[in-house]
Amino acid sequence: MKFAVPRGTFVKSASSDHAPAIARHSSGFDQFYATLKGTEGLSILDLSGASQANISFITEAGHRISSDDLVGAMLQSFGDDFGESQTDGKAARFLEQALTFPAETFDGALVWDAFQFLAPPLIDQTVERLLRVMRPGGLILAFFNADEKMKKIPLYSYRIQDSKTLLQIPRGMPQRVQNFNNRTIEKLFEDASSVKFFLTRDHLREVLVRR
Amino acid sequence: MWSKRKEDELPQRQEKPAMPSVTAVEPQRKETTMSSPSRTFEPEPLTPSRSGGSAALGKNVTVKGQIFAREDLTIDGEVEGTVECHEHRLTIGPNARVQAGLKAREIIIQGSIQGNVDATDKIDIKKEAKLVGDIKTSRIVIEDGAYFKGSIDISKPQARAQAQQGGAATGATAQPAAAAATSQAGTPSR
Repeated sequence: MKFAVPRGTFVKSASSDHAPAIARHSSGFDQFYATLKGTEGLSILDLSGASQANISFITEAGHRISSDDLVGAMLQSFGDDFGESQTDGKAARFLEQALTFPAETFDGALVWDAFQFLAPPLIDQTVERLLRVMRPGGLILAFFNADEKMKKIPLYSYRIQDSKTLLQIPRGMPQRVQNFNNRTIEKLFEDASSVKFFLTRDHLREVLVRR
Repeated sequence: MWSKRKEDELPQRQEKPAMPSVTAVEPQRKETTMSSPSRTFEPEPLTPSRSGGSAALGKNVTVKGQIFAREDLTIDGEVEGTVECHEHRLTIGPNARVQAGLKAREIIIQGSIQGNVDATDKIDIKKEAKLVGDIKTSRIVIEDGAYFKGSIDISKPQARAQAQQGGAATGATAQPAAAAATSQAGTPSR
C-alpha cells in the first residue's frame, strides 16, 4: 500500500491541529521490512497504537499485526511528565499494562520512539519484557533522539507510507529522561544477538535489534 | 349549450373502471405491515441486513448471557457473555460496555469492548471506541484516536472464492461447452 507523500515534506496531521506531520525516509524500517518480504503469516507488534496505515501495510503484506499503545500506557500511568513521575508504584502500574503478551509471540516489533521516554530501571524491565515476547531471531525497530542538547524531545506517532517512508505525527514534547548514545543503547540491548545503527540527518538514531 | 356538454361528460367518467375508489383501497393498507408476506408488489432482492428488522439494547439495559440475533442489532448498554448476529450487522453504540465475544457479518464499534471480535465482512472502529481483544475479519477500518490493544488477523474469503473459481475456469478451458454454460450462469470468465 503506497501513499503519494514526498519525503521530507510537511503534511497536515490527522491527530494534531498544531504541528504538521512529517514524511521522512527510514533506512531502519526499510531493512526491517526487507526481512519480512518473501514470507507470510509473521506476527508483527506495533507499539504506536492502532492506525489504519500500519494495519493496512502489514496485513496486505500477508502478516498479522498486534497493536499496543506503549506511550498511551505511559501517559495513563505517569501523566504528561514522563521523567519525574516514574516512581515505583506508577512503574508497577505501567508494567501491568505494557507488553502483556505470551512469551515468543512476535517475529517483529515496531517500538518507534517510545523507549526513550522511559527512565531506568523501568526501561531495562520493559526491554527485558519485550525481548521475552519476541521469537528468537525476531527484529525490533526502535528510534532514539540523537541531539543531546535538547532538554525536551518530540514524541511522534509513526504511520507507514511505504517500505522506505514514514509519516511522523507530533504527539507532544515531553522532557528528555536520559541521553542515549550508541554505548547506552548497546548496553540496553545487551541480551540481544545483534544491534545495528542507522544515524539519520534529522538527529534520529534508528536501531535494529535482533533477538 | 354549455350545461348540456357537462351533462354528457359526467356519465362517461362514471363508467371508467380503471380508477379504484379510495374506500376500496383502505382495507388493504390496514392489513399490510412491513413484515407481511401478503404484499401485492414484486419484492426487490434484499441484502441480509435489510431482510429483517433491527433490534436495539438501550443504554440502561444490562444483559448477562448469550445473545443470538437474526437481524441487525445495536447495543448501547452493558453486555457480558457472547453476542452472535450471523449474516447481520452489529453496532456497539457509544455508551456500550461490552465484555463479550462478538460474531457478526459487519461490526461497527463506538463504545467499549473487552473480548474477541469476529466479523466475516468488515469491522469499523470509530475514534471514540476502545477495544481490548483480538480481531478476525476480512476488512478493517480504524479511525485515528481509537484505542485498540490486541491482534488483527485478516482472512480473505473472497481470495479463497476466487481461487476456487480459478480452478473451475481451468477445468472449463478443457471443455468449452461447460465454460459457456458457466459464463451464462453469471460466473466471471476471462
